[in-house]
Amino acid sequence: MINSSIFGIAPPKLAYETIDEESPKSVQASPKEKITLFIEEAMEKASDALIKTGTPVRAGQKLTVYPGSKAYAVSPVSGEVESITPFTGIMEKQKTALTIRIGEVQDDGGDADPFEEVAKSPSMQVLLDYLATVPGKPDFSRLADDAEPIKTLLILGADSDLLTVTNQFVIKTAGDAIKNGVNALQKATSKRNINFLMAVPNHLIQVSGTAGVSAKGVSSVFPMAHPEMIALSVVGAEPAGKKDSVVFLSAEAVASIGRAFKDGRIPGDKQITFVGKDGSKKLVTAPVGTHVKDILEKVGATVKDGDRIIFGGPMTGVSIYSIDHPVEPDTDAIILQDKSQIVPSEDLACINCGQCVRVCPTHVPVNELVRYLDAGEYEQAAERAELDACIECGYCTYVCESRIPIFQHIRLAKYALERIKAAEENNA
Amino acid sequence: MPNRMKLTVSHAPFWHTGSSTSVKYYHIIGAAMLAVLFGLYQYGIPALAVLTMSVGSAMLWESLFNYLAKRPNTIQDGNAALIGLLFAMLLPAVTPWWVVVTGTFVAIVIGKQIYGGLGANPFNPVIVAYAMLLISWPVYLDFNAALVDYNFAFDPFYPMAAAKFQGAEMVEHFTISGMLMGQQVGGIGTGFGLGLIIGGAYLIARGFVRWEITISFLAGIFVTALLYNMSNPEVYAGPGFHLFSGMSLIGAIFLATEDSSSPVNFVPMLIYGALGGILTVLIRNIGVHVDGVIFAVLIISLVNPIVDKIRPKAKRRVMNYA
Ligand code: SF4
Ligand code: SF4
Repeated sequence: MINSSIFGIAPPKLAYETIDEESPKSVQASPKEKITLFIEEAMEKASDALIKTGTPVRAGQKLTVYPGSKAYAVSPVSGEVESITPFTGIMEKQKTALTIRIGEVQDDGGDADPFEEVAKSPSMQVLLDYLATVPGKPDFSRLADDAEPIKTLLILGADSDLLTVTNQFVIKTAGDAIKNGVNALQKATSKRNINFLMAVPNHLIQVSGTAGVSAKGVSSVFPMAHPEMIALSVVGAEPAGKKDSVVFLSAEAVASIGRAFKDGRIPGDKQITFVGKDGSKKLVTAPVGTHVKDILEKVGATVKDGDRIIFGGPMTGVSIYSIDHPVEPDTDAIILQDKSQIVPSEDLACINCGQCVRVCPTHVPVNELVRYLDAGEYEQAAERAELDACIECGYCTYVCESRIPIFQHIRLAKYALERIKAAEENNA
Repeated sequence: MPNRMKLTVSHAPFWHTGSSTSVKYYHIIGAAMLAVLFGLYQYGIPALAVLTMSVGSAMLWESLFNYLAKRPNTIQDGNAALIGLLFAMLLPAVTPWWVVVTGTFVAIVIGKQIYGGLGANPFNPVIVAYAMLLISWPVYLDFNAALVDYNFAFDPFYPMAAAKFQGAEMVEHFTISGMLMGQQVGGIGTGFGLGLIIGGAYLIARGFVRWEITISFLAGIFVTALLYNMSNPEVYAGPGFHLFSGMSLIGAIFLATEDSSSPVNFVPMLIYGALGGILTVLIRNIGVHVDGVIFAVLIISLVNPIVDKIRPKAKRRVMNYA
């Protein structure tokens, strides 16, 4: 919530949301007719696809679209494929969207669920092959790469954005699952010497004891629960020229992994913090792929033209285009904003008021940075104005007096630089 | 069946404090009103004429320039009005209209627009204009000469001139409480110390003005004046006099704190402000000008870009693009 004191001397303090109930409850929502799953690869020729319109799908089945492809999704429901379409996410990220019409599928009595077999012995390969899209969306890519100098695995039990309580809820209610997940992960990484740590909001330090890893308290002041801020306070900066030695997994992801190995089934229920237009929050559980409109119906919320639906928190989330958009494995929050609550950004120049500089958690000279970004001088921005130190928390943009969409400019700049870097590496 | 509802889509963050440039400028204008109203009470109709001429012409220059430069009109953001208002507050009530209009032209066009408009100006436009007039037509800005026709209930000397040319003895005519209550000759909006302080306190409390600059500016004046006064009390007025006379208060609260020409980092703000205060007293005591605020602010704006490089080291966990 916003704690804006009338004394403007200190910038407005933003505090993270907390769950106050002793044993919080979550409402179960279910998809009505269909679900949509995203597969993180660009859509190619449909004729090569392993999956076509009409292909039957079993609940818990892993779906790969192209032969030999590493990207996949796991369907939480049974039914048949209705459509396969390309989808473009933010920063031009290309995905393939699979829509599945829910229905009974004939049990051919054939092969058992392949995951059930491998679930008996957790390994990195099993994690990579089956659990990369479980609720909480664990990113195993660096963990699986032996060339990466990983020393710390940081389990995020504190929600990084405002209003969101998803990971706190998991910490409070799924201690056993987290513990199982930690065990599985420790087995899978036993060859390497990785230190497991858990970061939780200060008020949950006691509760987190059940998970069997040592816990660090995280301040309730935004953006201290941002993964990068937690890593800064726990392990500090990497020496110059060294690669990142920390990987992050959300508490929910670890719990999902724990459940998967315990039950022999890939879990599909995503934990969501729903925040209505009036700011009231509800905990909702829904299978990955559930369309937003089914969730809105469940919680009795309505949207109209001009409103905004945010996936993720108010500072770093993504606004979606349609109420047919599905819940994704990392959709920790769904926030509704009424048209009247939206403050549009403006096309003004920076007045050098310095508000951004005063709130930036990593001391980026944002007032200088915006000048380089405005001029499209991205390399200068990195060299002279610490673009690289930005952890993408959105705070500067929240306070900007000129209402400049600074955060968007920062993302664009980083995206452009990444492409330049990639091009250089290809040429080298 | 695709859904046809049009949701609002934009980039994060989806919250904003609600602050804006125009909110800020209108608040600053509001906070200056106590001092302005007192000026109207003290100097009457001529002051009103100067004020309206200044605010009106500033807005007109802004519109005209925007029109010629084919930029969107920006007068509704309140910045041009604020520039006009602050400029008028520095002027004697009897300033001829063409001096006022020339001044606002310099402020808006030369001080602000040719650099690219709001946020791009290296100096406070008001200061640029006033300095230009001070050099070109000092006679119109001489408060003693300009205000001879007024009958005041107090000693009608411009305190700065009194201190400069007649020494500390003359300064005894001015009490701190008297100066706070506006018993000093000066610009339309510079005399009523209490009004300026109340306005400044409001702006600082609301975060529209950076207290670091205001406080260090005043501290710079205080300490420097104190040192001079201790070294030779016969010649140099005390710190109280320097703090509450001339343009000290309006300078510390409304002029030195202009965003674009002042630093944003903590230590630089302190250095910038303190330097301004020190220079103000130095110019008053040993320079050729009677008041030092204008040139002091001009000089500190010049060093602002260098000073503001003193900033905390960025916290960076991993190097990505270096
Ligand atoms: S988003 Fe803004 S406030 Fe946050 S780290 Fe980046 S520059 Fe700093
Ligand atoms: S908050 Fe916005 S206007 Fe103020 S200095 Fe930062 S970028 Fe410029």
